[in-house]
Amino acid sequence: MKQVGEALPRREDGRLLRGRARYMADLAFDDSLDAIVVRSPFARARILSIDASAALAADGVVAVLTADDLVGVEPALTRQFYSLTPAFIERHQVFLGPYREPVLARDRVSRMGEPVAFLIATDRRAAEDAAELVEVDYEPLDPIVDPLRAIAPGSDLVVSDVPGNIQASFHIIVGDPTSAVEAAERKVSGRFRIGRSVGSPIETRGAVGIPATGSEPLTVWSSTQIPHILRAYLAEFLRCPEEDLRVAAPDMGGSFGGGIYAEELLVAFAARLLGQPVRWLEDRRENLANARHSRDQIIDALLAYDTSGSFRALEMHIVQDCGSANLFGLTLPFNIASHARGQFAIDHFDVTGLCVLTNKTRNTPVRGAGRPEATFVLDRLVDMAATDLGIDPADLRHRNLIPAREMPRDMGMLYRDGAPMVYDSGDFPDQLRTALEAFDYWGKRRRQDEAAGSNLALGIGVSSHVEATGLGPHETARVEIDDSGTVVLTCGSNPHGQSHATTLAQVAGETLGIRYDRIETRFGDTGLLERGGGTFGSRSAVTAGAVVHGASVELRRRILDLASEMLECDPADLIIRDGYVSPRGVPGISVSFAELATGGAPLRAEDEFVPPTVTLGSGTHIASVAVDRETGVVNLTGYVVVDDCGTVLNPMVVDGQQHGGVAHGIGNALLEEAVYDEGGQLLSGTFIDYLLPTAADVPDIEIIHRPHPTPLNTLGVKGAGEGSTASAPGAIANAVVDALRPLRIEINELPITPQRLVELIRAAEAEQVEGLAGN
Amino acid sequence: MTRDLHSIVLNVNGDEVTVRVEARQTLAGMLRDQLGLTGTNLGCEHGVCGACTVLLGGRTARSCTLLAVQANGRSVTTVEGLAADGDPLHPVQQAFADHHALQCGFCTPGFLLTTIEYLDEEPEADPDSIRERLSANLCRCTGYHNIVAAVKDLLERRTGR
Ligand code: FES
Ligand code: FES
Repeated sequence: MKQVGEALPRREDGRLLRGRARYMADLAFDDSLDAIVVRSPFARARILSIDASAALAADGVVAVLTADDLVGVEPALTRQFYSLTPAFIERHQVFLGPYREPVLARDRVSRMGEPVAFLIATDRRAAEDAAELVEVDYEPLDPIVDPLRAIAPGSDLVVSDVPGNIQASFHIIVGDPTSAVEAAERKVSGRFRIGRSVGSPIETRGAVGIPATGSEPLTVWSSTQIPHILRAYLAEFLRCPEEDLRVAAPDMGGSFGGGIYAEELLVAFAARLLGQPVRWLEDRRENLANARHSRDQIIDALLAYDTSGSFRALEMHIVQDCGSANLFGLTLPFNIASHARGQFAIDHFDVTGLCVLTNKTRNTPVRGAGRPEATFVLDRLVDMAATDLGIDPADLRHRNLIPAREMPRDMGMLYRDGAPMVYDSGDFPDQLRTALEAFDYWGKRRRQDEAAGSNLALGIGVSSHVEATGLGPHETARVEIDDSGTVVLTCGSNPHGQSHATTLAQVAGETLGIRYDRIETRFGDTGLLERGGGTFGSRSAVTAGAVVHGASVELRRRILDLASEMLECDPADLIIRDGYVSPRGVPGISVSFAELATGGAPLRAEDEFVPPTVTLGSGTHIASVAVDRETGVVNLTGYVVVDDCGTVLNPMVVDGQQHGGVAHGIGNALLEEAVYDEGGQLLSGTFIDYLLPTAADVPDIEIIHRPHPTPLNTLGVKGAGEGSTASAPGAIANAVVDALRPLRIEINELPITPQRLVELIRAAEAEQVEGLAGN
Repeated sequence: MTRDLHSIVLNVNGDEVTVRVEARQTLAGMLRDQLGLTGTNLGCEHGVCGACTVLLGGRTARSCTLLAVQANGRSVTTVEGLAADGDPLHPVQQAFADHHALQCGFCTPGFLLTTIEYLDEEPEADPDSIRERLSANLCRCTGYHNIVAAVKDLLERRTGR
């Protein structure tokens, strides 16, 4: 039965629709205690003393842990995510400074919300009541909030061993950018700012630590994207072997950005110390202040080109505000760099990136992770160039897209995994043509002028992006047939909405000859699988898809071998249908999976997939907007996506990922901003101030697939989870500028809030009036 | 902190229940922690995200900002009350499944109940009003596209349009 590529219904839905999901807060454990984090109210301060005696005496309080109580464990996280190869470090002039993030603050705090104490009580209310009684004596210091001030000479230091507040940096040079810029006839440039935003899944974070019992090791349930990596961090923190630990993820209400957090470590420590399960559940204020902050860059960029419209060179200087610690090393600014040229042929390229520490919450890769930022900057530069040259942006794009015949194309630099960055597959010109046609671009352009004059200005914007997907290093899966004849699929990558239980079962089911909805699936539990990667970087369909396929192919071979003995028939002459193996053309004779499984030898195949490197997804988006010149409110009136994520496992699921990604991008473009004041206080602490897009902010989205399967994995799959976030900001910003073209405004900052836009409109109008007066 | 308990009687998903609650216990807290109805999810506890939406006397209510004692004598419908285990899904649930209107499912109970109220109050509603009406609830996964499609389908089936 053909399953891969079919829009088969999701198996996850029944439970979720009936309210039978088990999210973190739904798990119940006997004798469970509740913990709450006492957090720093200051962005930067010395801790003079901590007095927990009043809290300890309060009703229901079991323990109050401070840095001094973290005995026998590592006091801080010190290992950054992702190692870099020596060749990469040399080639791209990488500097990597020390990373140190205390689990609990000892004598200083460097951001608002930093954990200072972990208070454990018999229930959550008792914990909340008592938290106010923990007395921490702070001596506030002037915080470093602006990253440009942080790197200015003479700035105070966020941490003493990171001079200049530059924790990491790199420099990429491709071709001869200096000469190319000099020789180019025209240039556009600007300083772009991408606002800080927050991943904001609707479920907040949570974790439970459960002490070891006779048979079960010390266990942590966490709403994590990376159970196996969390186990490694926990082992390091607790100074114990990984085998002594189990990490599992329950159902998750979204995630959108990973990482390791102090709270996940603290529940394990507290459970081991107290001999009782310890649960920590976050509230929304904590989430908005402490988890999954992202974006937040200042990018100076320049595009050089000829009067013929041919792009010559691109330069970028990226200042990445990392917040108070940089767990992810170069990830964010390097992602910007490696996606900066998008779909265009630009032979000369110069990018520097600085990871700067400030007294804000730690930055993390969130859906898109550098791609929306890179795409926004490039999209704006391209449209600025089109205006400069007096040609339509769609035309200018077309002239500069990498043609399909030049694929695969070596981009002259290394990717973060150390492999040469190669665009492996895709047809960008076809993608643009398809999008223009589906959108009726030229027709709408003609009609656009007719609508001019009213208070609503109409604009159209195009964006195109690439997305390196399917990041390694590895993923593991096991496919087996248990005693009852049930096919059981176990995989290291765990879902938080991505439909693994459907799509991966489609891959296994098609290979094994059994319907996907008869396969039992298990994910994200180190107790079930010794190794695993996780779910991040649009990797699951690629890495988990490939490894499930590999394991299923192997299991199929074993099934056929075994059946061939039992049926006395050559394996090549056997077919599998609905869990029964029979000789081709003789359906009357068969042996079931259940019969095969009782044969003695375990019917099981485990595989590990190590992708050679990332594979390139891509997409082109066109948005139309109506801008209210008086209020600065931007309404989206149309949206088309043309997407290439290679082989589509389940189009319904992929479309859903695209819709969600576009909405996330709309949030980044128009609404979402985590705002700190000069004192390092977060002003956007609730969903009343931090605006997520609602149904009314998002238009109907048309999605067209133009897949070009990658040669880099057996299924031909490329990732699809993040790319759609990448193009929305650029498409929308270009559409807004287009709508207001008589005013010649430039949009260099995200989000485009009504207030910002009204300021731009007023300033441009004033300039025009002045210009007229001067004539 | 005093922890006086109040006895309240209410109808939950068709069954009359008596619960002893603290005055400060929220309706959501009572449903989840005392009645074990964990299908009602908490996303913000500020009355903004709508994940905790239940029907109180047939009208949507945010169970995170209501006190349990305020539900005394009233009837409450949670997601668990839409279809008994083993029974087919409620038509609104089925439409959500048919249109892939959920991914992680965390916002889904709230959207289901918001949709039920909407169809109930405005069976003849103009599909153009769907997005406005659904903007009371937040979803981070679906981009709303398929939720809107599901609700539109339900409306069209009602009106035969
Ligand atoms: S949890 Fe009640 S509205 Fe968000
Ligand atoms: S489906 Fe995940 S928040 Fe709506």
